[in-house]
Amino acid sequence: MNLKKRLLDFVDVRLGVRDLLAQNLTKYLLPRNINAWYTLGAVLLTLFMIQVATGILLLIYYVPNPDEAFQSVERIMNEIPFGWLIRNLHAIGANVIVIALLLHMLSVLFMASYKRPRELTWLSGFLIFNLALGLCLTGYLLPWSQLSFWATTVATDAAGAIPVLGDEIVRFLRGGSMVNEATLGRFFALHVMGMPLLLGGLVGFHLFCVRRAGISRPPFGPTYQPREIPDHFEHEEHPGGIPFFPNYVIKDLAVICFFLAFLLAIVFFAPTLLSPESAFVPADPFVTPPHIKPEWYFLWAYQTLKIFPSELIGLGVQGAFMTFLALLPFIDRGPERRPAMRPIFVTSFFLTLFVFVAISIWGHFS
Amino acid sequence: MDPQSTPSTQRRQFLYIILGGAAAAFAGLAAWPVWRYLLPGRKADLEAKIPVARREVPLGRAFFFNFRGQPAVVLQPAPGQFVALSAVCTHLGCVVQWFPDKTEFLCPCHGGRFNAEGQVLGGPPPKPLTLLPLTIEGDQILVG
Repeated sequence: MNLKKRLLDFVDVRLGVRDLLAQNLTKYLLPRNINAWYTLGAVLLTLFMIQVATGILLLIYYVPNPDEAFQSVERIMNEIPFGWLIRNLHAIGANVIVIALLLHMLSVLFMASYKRPRELTWLSGFLIFNLALGLCLTGYLLPWSQLSFWATTVATDAAGAIPVLGDEIVRFLRGGSMVNEATLGRFFALHVMGMPLLLGGLVGFHLFCVRRAGISRPPFGPTYQPREIPDHFEHEEHPGGIPFFPNYVIKDLAVICFFLAFLLAIVFFAPTLLSPESAFVPADPFVTPPHIKPEWYFLWAYQTLKIFPSELIGLGVQGAFMTFLALLPFIDRGPERRPAMRPIFVTSFFLTLFVFVAISIWGHFS
Repeated sequence: MDPQSTPSTQRRQFLYIILGGAAAAFAGLAAWPVWRYLLPGRKADLEAKIPVARREVPLGRAFFFNFRGQPAVVLQPAPGQFVALSAVCTHLGCVVQWFPDKTEFLCPCHGGRFNAEGQVLGGPPPKPLTLLPLTIEGDQILVG
């Protein structure tokens, strides 16, 4: 006990850690009516850390070469002790991250937390979401299975619908006219280094924005009133609120445990839930398997391209929607955040959600 | 028991122990698969004999090969007489080289010298090169 205190004193004298910890933990007050949706950031941080750890472990045995990639993944799954666990945590964890990201974004949309002064928080979060999807796409090719190969072929081919530059963009993405060794090389580099570095920077900036602007108060309860946003910077304080530590950390940990239980349940009891038969066959550039579909989170985009008479219109609609979503805080500028006072937004929110789910299901069965 | 009778510091201590124990158990549970995953795999053929063709080892010459994951060497110092040795220097683990004109091994790292039987002739190596058992079957030398 004495040694612990002396160690803390040593660091405290030099870095003032006690004050730092107090400011960010025990004296960092959150709104009293804060809810469980606010824990999703901590959940995502945990899941991202699991991805980094399992990704580094997979790099030890994975060989990024078309002749050996599939065999190396087979070896990880069947020969290396607990390789199946590491790989399933990584592959299925990516899907759980997408679920958590969607829930996080939907809750922010519903509670209108993206509004001024949190436009940059939203924008960085939106970029993190897109980067995470990019990581999913690039990671999907690496096992070099029939599913990987042809899903990547279909996904990169969509860019060909862009007028004039389309074919060149496809060639650039693939490093050639078809998915080949060069595609594996560039997707591998992006997946293990380029995108994670960018993601790390963005996550850091996102957390800085959250901490700097202060946690937004949930727009519920009889005492809630839209906040007057001043022209100058002002950290949103919550006097009389609950401390981040230990109160909210306990809630964070509870929801993290829930997500980990969900992830482990799939890893242990349904590891092939998201893997069709073609995921277990090595890539063959001369044989396209029937019914190649993208991952569930890309189904809406896949089906949108099929609904419209030309792929260009489909791409245009997707681009317009994503741009609208990115710029939403700059379009929806009113101070009102209470869902009950924003009937048009809330109706559009649920309708859009319904359309997305319906199109994805349609894409799955089409 | 009246909860007021238990000092809050004692309750806090109890909670710390429970939470710390749970965290340690979880960390151990997570660390075990990672440790096993990282452990070097054991080769199934640790007892297998490694064949070397006799024609690869002419008189006075040495043939280097992989013996169960480690560099080894077979040489023919006299007609029909073969010797198999570990090629790993006993000083700091570098791989020795054979100099047929001097009929000795030299370690390029720190100048350790060994004769054709692996005995130390000079330099810092503390002990001879490990002698490997061999048998000859037809035109094959079986090491191990």
